Amino acid sequence: MTQKAGLVHYSGHQYLRTRLVLSILSGKAVRIDKIRSDDKNPGLRDFEISLLRLLEKVTNGTVVEISVTGTALLLKPGIISGGPIIHDCPLARSIGYFLEPVIMLAPFAKKPLQLTLRGITTDDNDLSADLIRTVTLPHLQLFGISDGLELRIKKRGAPPAGGGEVQFLCPIVKQVKTLNFAEPGKIKRIRGIAHAVRVNPQFSNRMIEATRSILNRYIPDIYLYSDVYKGDESGKSPGYALTLLAESTTSALHCSEAVSEPGIAPEDVALRATRALLAEINMGGCVDQKHQTMVLLMMVLGSEDVGRCRMGPPTLRTIQFLRDVRDFFGTSFKIVPAEPSNVDSSQLIYSCYGTGYVNANRTLA
Amino acid sequence: MEDRPHKPHRPAQSGSKAEKKGKGKEKAHGFNEKAFAPKSGRRADRQGRRKVEKDQTRLHVPLVNRTPDDEPPPVIVAIVGPPGVGKTTLLKSLVRRYTKQTLNEAKGPITVVSGKKRRLTFIESNTDLNSMIDIGKVADLVLLMIDGSFGFEMETFEFLNILQSHGFPKVIGVLTHLDLIKKAATLRASKKALKKRFWTEIYQGAKLFYLSGVLNGRYPDTEILNLSRFISVMKFRPLVFRNTHPYVLADRLEDLTSRELIRTTSGKCDRTVTVYGYVRGTNLRQGMKVHIPGVGDLDMKSVTKLGDPCPLPDADSEKRRKLSEKKKLLVHAPMSDVGGVVYDKDAVYINVPGSFTRGNGDVPQGEGEQMVTDLQDAGRTLDDAVAQSQIRLFGSSSRHLALEDVHMDGVESSDSGLDDDEEGEESEDGSELGSDEELDEEEGDAEVDMEKLRSDPRNTGRTTLRDVSRNIPSSSKKQREEIDFAESDSDLGDEDAEDFGVSKRARFGDEDEDVDIPSDDVGSDLDDEDGAEWNPSSSNLPHRRRRRKDWMKLIYSTSLTPEQILSHGGESEAEKVNQDEGDDDDFFRIKKKDDLSRGEELDKTKEALKEQDLKQWEDDDMLESIRHLFITGESNLEETGAEVDENGEPYEEEGGDFEDLEAPDESPEAGPSSSRDDTETIRAANLAAKKEALKRRFDEEYDDPEASKLDFYDEKKEEMARQLQLNKAEFEGVDEESRALVEGFRPGAYVRIELADVPCEMVEHFDPTYPIVVGGLLPAEERFGYVQVRIKRHRWFTKTLKTNDPLIFSLGWRRFQTVPIYSLDDHSIRMRMLKYTPEHMHCYATFYGPASLPNTGFCAFNSLSGNTAGFRVSATGVVLDIDRSVKIVKKLKLTGVPFKIFKNTAFVKDMFSSALEVAKFEGANIRTVSGIRGQVKKALAKPDGAFRATFEDKALMSDIIFLRAWYSIQPRKFYNPVTSLLLSNKSAWTGMRLTGQVRHAEGLKTPLNVNSTYKKIERPHRRFNPLVIPKKLQAELPYASKPKLMKPQQKQTYLQKRAVVMEPEEKKAVALLQQMRALRKDQVARRKEKKEGKRIVHQKKVDKEEAKKAEKEKEKKKEHMRIAGQKSKRQADLEEGRSSKRRKT
Repeated sequence: MTQKAGLVHYSGHQYLRTRLVLSILSGKAVRIDKIRSDDKNPGLRDFEISLLRLLEKVTNGTVVEISVTGTALLLKPGIISGGPIIHDCPLARSIGYFLEPVIMLAPFAKKPLQLTLRGITTDDNDLSADLIRTVTLPHLQLFGISDGLELRIKKRGAPPAGGGEVQFLCPIVKQVKTLNFAEPGKIKRIRGIAHAVRVNPQFSNRMIEATRSILNRYIPDIYLYSDVYKGDESGKSPGYALTLLAESTTSALHCSEAVSEPGIAPEDVALRATRALLAEINMGGCVDQKHQTMVLLMMVLGSEDVGRCRMGPPTLRTIQFLRDVRDFFGTSFKIVPAEPSNVDSSQLIYSCYGTGYVNANRTLA
Repeated sequence: MEDRPHKPHRPAQSGSKAEKKGKGKEKAHGFNEKAFAPKSGRRADRQGRRKVEKDQTRLHVPLVNRTPDDEPPPVIVAIVGPPGVGKTTLLKSLVRRYTKQTLNEAKGPITVVSGKKRRLTFIESNTDLNSMIDIGKVADLVLLMIDGSFGFEMETFEFLNILQSHGFPKVIGVLTHLDLIKKAATLRASKKALKKRFWTEIYQGAKLFYLSGVLNGRYPDTEILNLSRFISVMKFRPLVFRNTHPYVLADRLEDLTSRELIRTTSGKCDRTVTVYGYVRGTNLRQGMKVHIPGVGDLDMKSVTKLGDPCPLPDADSEKRRKLSEKKKLLVHAPMSDVGGVVYDKDAVYINVPGSFTRGNGDVPQGEGEQMVTDLQDAGRTLDDAVAQSQIRLFGSSSRHLALEDVHMDGVESSDSGLDDDEEGEESEDGSELGSDEELDEEEGDAEVDMEKLRSDPRNTGRTTLRDVSRNIPSSSKKQREEIDFAESDSDLGDEDAEDFGVSKRARFGDEDEDVDIPSDDVGSDLDDEDGAEWNPSSSNLPHRRRRRKDWMKLIYSTSLTPEQILSHGGESEAEKVNQDEGDDDDFFRIKKKDDLSRGEELDKTKEALKEQDLKQWEDDDMLESIRHLFITGESNLEETGAEVDENGEPYEEEGGDFEDLEAPDESPEAGPSSSRDDTETIRAANLAAKKEALKRRFDEEYDDPEASKLDFYDEKKEEMARQLQLNKAEFEGVDEESRALVEGFRPGAYVRIELADVPCEMVEHFDPTYPIVVGGLLPAEERFGYVQVRIKRHRWFTKTLKTNDPLIFSLGWRRFQTVPIYSLDDHSIRMRMLKYTPEHMHCYATFYGPASLPNTGFCAFNSLSGNTAGFRVSATGVVLDIDRSVKIVKKLKLTGVPFKIFKNTAFVKDMFSSALEVAKFEGANIRTVSGIRGQVKKALAKPDGAFRATFEDKALMSDIIFLRAWYSIQPRKFYNPVTSLLLSNKSAWTGMRLTGQVRHAEGLKTPLNVNSTYKKIERPHRRFNPLVIPKKLQAELPYASKPKLMKPQQKQTYLQKRAVVMEPEEKKAVALLQQMRALRKDQVARRKEKKEGKRIVHQKKVDKEEAKKAEKEKEKKKEHMRIAGQKSKRQADLEEGRSSKRRKT
């Protein structure tokens, strides 16, 4: 893929976020062309442009060149600067779409990041603000990024009109710790957040009831919070959702989420979320499927030691991510079955030799 | 005689007798504890505290050592010192000590085995500052040579400063030329003085060796032996920079560019160069960028691991405690003349002794002679070789072209022939290996047991056939074997014939194609007959079909899309892709529909929930089936009962602590009673063992809660050890090649690095005495930006450093010239530019250049040339920050004068030149010289650039009004690497000159601005009118504020008025006193005159003596200079003699 040194070349609009993140972290310029060139509406979408603008704000010295048609893109990364930033997200995607790449970058910034994002907090495509707060950020703690790591949900905003606001605070680190996480443990507690905005607050209780009807058989340690935002804090559109997470004895996290759809009862939403959680738990491993890429990235960025992690089979995104990582960092993973003697187990051990990535942006003194 | 008393017995105070008797007995008593017991509690407390403090000072921050302990790279021992101090002599002596060989000329690094666990690479540094810098960055141990008869020289101090800023390696001082000092007292004194100076420079107690004279061109053997003992026990602490960067000290350089290209371009083309050396520091990874100081940033085209040319003795070759004499002969010094072979950049020279004849095998041969005789032993002619060589149609094709009727034996023989001759080729492309079988065996997870294959009588013929592609997915290996066999032998009659449908596929595809076939179906086709043979273990498994995907192969070495990989049984997809590639000859293709549909796919994090996946969770059994994943569920002992391993522990041991002990009978399925009993007993045993362990732990903790707790330091150290253990264990079974892919080349490996696009000058002007360091760069270090450093001018550097003057930095691996701007932090508000570096103080400097990690040390030079007088290290410091923009400002004062003043308002002119400028500064703070503060309000229409300003008080017409502004400045984007290795005269590098130097060289005068010249300031004396307060106001003022005006006194006072009349006695007394005073005065004057005369005489005497002394001094100086001249002449003679001697041989 690499054409010449320092420039990585890709085609297609997919996996844009991870590629941009890898480019910024590795310092290699990335060129992406044929972005929806065969589409009726070719080129970058508004949310992708907005993402690029956000990345420009987060970094210093980044050069983004977009072709006239919008089907090609060249990113010459600068350094990650951090600091206080405010960004309005377009309503096409939720805040999670924008926050996810920023979470990967923020620990390596020059200054601690204080990012305020406005837009939709929960939708069907991306991690909701709740999931990021309760699942994604704890994953970063595995790598020693914990003090001052916080996501505040100031306002909730359901699609389509949004109106939510979150504040993401992230400390900086010198180097992430090497992960060695091969024991999935057993599920010891389940937590959940049911929220409902601009609808009957009873909806969240109904969701909780439905979830408990299934999960109560497993463990008693289940707490499902009903989170109701009122007035100005509840955004511009009605909606509700249920976020579930299961934590194991070794603090491996599994999560699921279901979002309200028109014409579907809250009970059904809750059942979907619950079943998705059970499917996720059944998949096993130490890391949730949705967070595979982030964990793998942090493993690559670890010190020059061997990091190991047990996970389920890679998702589409993960497979492409593994290839992209090799293009940018030259790191390939060793992927072997976690239980070679157990044929039914689909769990894998991912191990890699960290690149010894040190936060060069950090200021001394 | 008798009455004389006998001499009393005096026991021996020293010697063996004294030790034998009294002292021995005393020692036998052992350590007297009471003697050191503290008398008071307070003392005991203090002693205890002191002990703890001493213990703490011994601790260092735990640092991971990235260099493996089992096979470390050779320790680099650099020999550094001024010219003529005896560096080469020491090097030769040391090499002689270790290898019993005498080097004729020692150039480049020389690697020897010094012990069972240690190798040493000696390198002699020349006196060029560039070499000293490079060597200071890689040396693990420095033998710093000092001429004892002369003392320290400037280079020594410069070198120590370079070491200091790049992490201080170990330093051993070596004093030479001590035989030149004849007088013992002088010798002792000078030794002491030098030692004191050395200690202050390194640390108190630093090791300093004394080498006396030279015997047979070497230092005395005992002294060298002592030195070598110190070297062999030296311990090294990893230095931070080297512990994060891989590097190679090249001991050999080779030009691989095709001769034709060089000829056509008359030597000016970019070269392809290989360098050889041991990897040090951290793992060297493929695709890394490297920097060669003196050349520049280069790309590594390829890295290959070679056999160790100077291997450590391994366990079975060396069973004794000491190194055997045979091993001692090992020396690796390609650029020096060892064993009659010298490797140059483009040739290998073999020196053979004058009487060289073949056949007298009893005389031990040198390496060179061996080579020549081997050449003469060539068994076959070129024609033979050509006849038996194999030609491949394409580079990627897997089979060579061969005549059909070539018999098996013929192939076999050619194989063996090839194996002998084409070792080189084998290592080059590694594909046509006769030793392919060995490679296969090495692949750890091989599902096909090659041993089985060979023992199988059917397969005997196959072992001779080679396979080209190396990255064989293990699962498809069997199929490949089948195919090759079928094709090559055209022996399709046997039971393999049924596979022919598969094996008919073309075998000319590239490697990918082979890999694309995860061959599940093939395996299942075959397993009826011999599947059990292939893999006995797998046949036990219940689902033969559900063979695991090899994710690594699928992800990294296929071109399948992620969707194809994930879709169940990826092989069908693979077939499809192959088919697509197969009918490539259709020039035009119809665009597929799914391409478009895929275009609509969103970049989602949450994958859409699949309905059927969720549906299954409506089933109660399904819900029950995952109960074991929860802490309340049981461990899955029942399910995996058969798979309990030898330890009797289930695989899911983690949840064991929480397993439901109360309800052990609640197993859902009732298996056969016997197996169930088995599992029960195992389970019970498990439980008992676990309880036992818990009890033990509890007991331990209860008895001594402190014992099991580690302090922070030990904890950290243990953690590191564990991680290192894991690093080692994780890739233990993986074969060498894929290991290199995943983790790179470990320190200690001897590698050959191929570098592309190397400037031709490096090869053309190659000089082995200049070290070539290949330093790996971290990703962050490849980029350029503004680097902010904390800098301090060296106190021995005589000039101050000026902003925007070029300075040469040695930072990271690099040496480069750049233009820094100095600044200071102004109350944390702004970075304020400084014109010059402050005296005795750190300041900041910002320059444009390659980034390096914060906390990297550097040193800076104004000039690197050897003919600079004085100390050359001009500054040292540390990197603080890397950024893409800078915020340095300098002060700008705009001045103006008022031309009209109202109460608190003034109209100001001459500050700006237009209303636009004024608009820009509206609201800005201004000030008068007298300190009245104000604000810019609005531009005025009339004089251009005039504005209205308001002040806190009434300004004066005579005031100057100024506006203080900050003007931001950017460092110039100037980066000039010091390419000293590219020059023919390597010490003659010149970078950008100072403006002054350029003017001086061009004979130009400094342009002089008339306004800048200093003139005498003429300030007219200002007269101020006296303050007049109106009478009326005065009257109304309170008394305290009233001016206290008084009229001048008119009447004389009494004292002024009175007249004094003396009594006659009084008058007399006064007169007498006056006379006496006059006498005294006269006496003093006369005495003074006399003294003056004496002084003049004395002065004359002193002058005379002084002149005599000066004469003597002059004589002495003359003598000294004469001796010095003689010494230098002798030296020159010696040099000449040496060079002439060399010419003779």
